[in-house]
Amino acid sequence: MEYYSYINIFETKGLAYLLLLSFLVLGVLLIRYLSGPERKDAARKRESDSTNSYEGF
Amino acid sequence: MNTAAIPTNELVRFAKFFLQELKPRGKWLTPFNVISIPVILVGLVILYFRFTLGLGAVTNLSQQYPFGFWIGFDVMTGVALAGGAYVLCFVVYVLRIEKYHSILKVTILNGLLAYIFYSGALLLDLGRPWHIINPIIGNSFGYNSVLFLVAWHFLLYTGALFLEFSPTIAEWAHWEKLRKFLTSMTLGTVIVGITLSMLHQSGIGAMFLMAKPKIHPLWYSEYIPLLYFVSSIFGGLAMVIFEGTMSSKIFSNLIGQKTHHSHNDIILGLAKGAAITMFVYYFFLAFIFMHGEKWTLINTSWGYWYLVEVIGFVLVPCFMFAYGVRNKRFGVIKTAAIMTVLGVILNRQNVCLIAYNWYVVDKYYPSWQELTVTLMVVFVEIWVFRWIVTRMSVFSKE
Repeated sequence: MEYYSYINIFETKGLAYLLLLSFLVLGVLLIRYLSGPERKDAARKRESDSTNSYEGF
Repeated sequence: MNTAAIPTNELVRFAKFFLQELKPRGKWLTPFNVISIPVILVGLVILYFRFTLGLGAVTNLSQQYPFGFWIGFDVMTGVALAGGAYVLCFVVYVLRIEKYHSILKVTILNGLLAYIFYSGALLLDLGRPWHIINPIIGNSFGYNSVLFLVAWHFLLYTGALFLEFSPTIAEWAHWEKLRKFLTSMTLGTVIVGITLSMLHQSGIGAMFLMAKPKIHPLWYSEYIPLLYFVSSIFGGLAMVIFEGTMSSKIFSNLIGQKTHHSHNDIILGLAKGAAITMFVYYFFLAFIFMHGEKWTLINTSWGYWYLVEVIGFVLVPCFMFAYGVRNKRFGVIKTAAIMTVLGVILNRQNVCLIAYNWYVVDKYYPSWQELTVTLMVVFVEIWVFRWIVTRMSVFSKE
């Protein structure tokens, strides 16, 4: 006869894994948030630089 | 260059120059002088009684509480907040991010003075201060003691910071050849300094590993050394933001135009670094909390106090730094820097004093003499800092 057992995340370190995952995801989001506007500016500048360089040909 | 080779007339010239430089400049009746001079004088009187009558005459220390406010604030907190020097040295000399070069000298000077005054304040707290030399001269080395590592590291790192700052002193004294020689040693000294710093910042935390039964479980962890090291990074960065803001206002006439203009850009970079480090620190705390299964401790008065520290002075300033960087809100960044500095002070006081012997009914509170002497140490450091920056080329003139 089979018994079903529920996984207790407190006992199985599941919570620690969830915390680790949230750390990684939130860490990426934080770095993206911190460098957000500058990245757009840099992309715009790069775009204009590349356009200018083609004008030379 | 050998100092013995310096001709006598050069030493005479320097002595005359030094005496000339000792003369005060500017107005005497400033608000800072009016407040600080009486505090320093009272502090000196208290120190006289401390060294003639002993620690018991002026402090509330006891056998239960061997660490008082002098250790908790001056040594533990002062050293953590001086962490900006090694972090910036790493950023400028190792990562080669040149935009922070203009604030490097003043940060190193702040670090040097912090180590001289705050770790020097250890002498006040030792029952027999003349024994401080023991770990250095080999009398009872105590290789197994963390304090042995900390003692040697404090000494070596203070020397390293002095060497890093010494080209500025040589420049001020018009010793050009010596300045060139000292400048050539900078990179090596910086690498030694960074290594020493990383070790003793965590070493200070490691001293509490032996006090497991005495520290409240919410603050005790086997990872205290790691937490002390990481918090010294953002604490140091926050202190650089705070000091930089104060210096740019008070000593604005000594700072060059270019540095003035780049000040905001530098603050944004430092705030970004602080936000990321605080984020990592916060998750370290969460992991430690979860690993230690400390859930039952949260719904107590100690738990609420712990949340005040962790959320109010770590998570909130972390978000404030991030918001300030993203929206270029310098007021928010500066407030976050002050909160972060307060948070590091609170953390060190919690581990060292407040949550130390937490179960004891007869708690330790610092006496007014301990508070006055601590204030005196801070004021004397500011006096020395002001004397140096108004005479030597510490701020970038560009």
